[in-house]
Amino acid sequence: MAEPIPIENVVGPTSAPDDVLRVEHISKRFGPVTALRDVNLHLRKGEVLGLLGDNGAGKSTLIKIICGFQKQDSGEMFLHGEPYAPKSVDDSRAKGIETVYQDLALIDELSVYHNMFLRRERVRHPLPFLANREMKLETRRALDEIGINIPRIDVAVARLSGGQRQAIAVARTVNSDADIILLDEPLAAMGAKEGAQILDLVARLKAEGKVSIIMILHNYVHVLEACDRVSMIQDGVIALDKPTAETSVDELTEIVVNEYRRARQAAHGETVTSATPRPDWGSSGGAGQSDG
Amino acid sequence: MASSAESPPPASPGAGEGGLAHHRGVSLTGEGGLLQRILALREGGIIVVTLLVGLYFTLNTSTFFGTANFKTLLPYVAPFAIFGAGEVFVMVLGEIDLSIGGTFLFAPYLFFKLSASAGLPLLPAVIVALLACTLVGLINGFFVAFVGISSFVTTLGMLFTLEGLTLIISHGEPVNTPGAQVTHTEAKVEHIVNGHHIVLTESVNHLGTFAKIFGAGTYSEIIWAVVIVFVLQLVLTFTRWGLYTVAVGSNKLGAAEAGVRVRLVIVRNFVLCAMTGGLVGILEAVRSATVQPDTAGANEYLFLGIAAAVIGGTLLAGGSGTVAGALIGALFLGVLKDGLILQGVNADYLLFYTGLAIILAMTINIYVSRVRRGHSSG
Repeated sequence: MAEPIPIENVVGPTSAPDDVLRVEHISKRFGPVTALRDVNLHLRKGEVLGLLGDNGAGKSTLIKIICGFQKQDSGEMFLHGEPYAPKSVDDSRAKGIETVYQDLALIDELSVYHNMFLRRERVRHPLPFLANREMKLETRRALDEIGINIPRIDVAVARLSGGQRQAIAVARTVNSDADIILLDEPLAAMGAKEGAQILDLVARLKAEGKVSIIMILHNYVHVLEACDRVSMIQDGVIALDKPTAETSVDELTEIVVNEYRRARQAAHGETVTSATPRPDWGSSGGAGQSDG
Repeated sequence: MASSAESPPPASPGAGEGGLAHHRGVSLTGEGGLLQRILALREGGIIVVTLLVGLYFTLNTSTFFGTANFKTLLPYVAPFAIFGAGEVFVMVLGEIDLSIGGTFLFAPYLFFKLSASAGLPLLPAVIVALLACTLVGLINGFFVAFVGISSFVTTLGMLFTLEGLTLIISHGEPVNTPGAQVTHTEAKVEHIVNGHHIVLTESVNHLGTFAKIFGAGTYSEIIWAVVIVFVLQLVLTFTRWGLYTVAVGSNKLGAAEAGVRVRLVIVRNFVLCAMTGGLVGILEAVRSATVQPDTAGANEYLFLGIAAAVIGGTLLAGGSGTVAGALIGALFLGVLKDGLILQGVNADYLLFYTGLAIILAMTINIYVSRVRRGHSSG
């Protein structure tokens, strides 16, 4: 492997008194590829943190470690000050962390309402049968509350548009009792109008002050509009951590331009990549593209 | 637009008010007509095809439509329906289980050994034999879900292993099925002949309750099949187990990300499928009163069971399937073979015609399904 690209500014462990989540010295490798080298991150109560970084920088990997889908090689996490090492997605969910994955984790063959309640299904206790009517009513209510228009909730999600699918994945997460929400590119595949609805929803959640949100975004205008603070991952470390009020589209763009410049220089010597391969279940169809 | 073009013009005096909206979906069969409702089902195509084949044989043979023939037909259909029902759970995952041919052969021998050699009572012997099948399912599931060997290869290996094991422990010899032997008792029966009462000693055949329940009763196997299909269809459609089965078959990564324990779902369904194989083996052994180490016969059962599931509308690619369809698929195969025999088709030609008929019927099925989809989306 080539020498790691020098980063001017590596953010060490930082914290605030009202942190709900702290991530310290997290590293993760996939075979020969280093996705995360030494990541330090914290999330304050009621905050919207924007997570930025180039494709393959390790953003999705970090999200998947926080939600318990993957396990870090080294480093520690703390949830509400307590050591936090999720054993599974169910485990992190039980501790109040919900995730919208980049590939949405929607099941094409299942109906909208079954997807809304996947892994949180209502059943007719003591019988094991699904309480479909109850789930339909609640899905309808949740979608109306968010203001997303899905004409029919009993059709398979395969028949919905990209934006509608994205909206359902977000609605599913918001409609839980989570106090930490992780959104991996919630605006991908969305039109401007649908995207604005999702950002409105995030703003509303922020105003309510109950949940804290980490959101991966690519559009810096959205970042400055929706987030309180930004953390940028470069080459497996956090290279920037600033309140959005103290940064600008220009500054963020400049960091990225510098990164490209360094990468081009490196390419003249030896190519350095830190692309994240798909770790598991790689053959599954329709799961979307892999990203960092 | 398509549906309004199909609908008849509002010519009748009473229909004038309704406008186009009222005519949506109205066709020759009428909205909510029986044919329409059948076609709306996933199994719709094969139901229609099976009825047509049945109708053909009813018109062309004098013996097809009658109680006597149904008594032969229904027990013949039952094993494939039960095989198919288990197979659907594995096929919806996008996997396949060939080892049910092995559990089919092995379970009755184990039952025989436990009962005749080890002296276990009949019912516990059946239960232990079925538990051995769950172990087979666990092993299949382990290799597929944890080791990552394709299910085709894993279960093919398991099929050969179990068939071989059966040949080893049976020395290739058939044995009498425990609890399935007919016993004779003498009974004095009074007859009236020309007004005289005479008493004759006659031999009466007895079949034990165990045998009657486990396959030897005329309708016992088909009752097993219908109950199993009904219960498993409920599980597939209305429980989390079924929901997660579809989820894993449709999007494995997505299901895992949502927190579904993918490996557990895979292993569980392989266990279920292996058990259906063992149960059918025991039912068939009790029905015929002999345990046969016949590997060729077991493989034929296996293929017809898988065929029943596929013909019934379950996709080999996974993500979608129906247990009730497997029953109808089995019924179709049974009606076809039975009808051809009754029509007097030469035994040498039987397989040939059966093969052609399956292809022809599935072609019609696909055509009918296309018509169905046209209706439902219009």
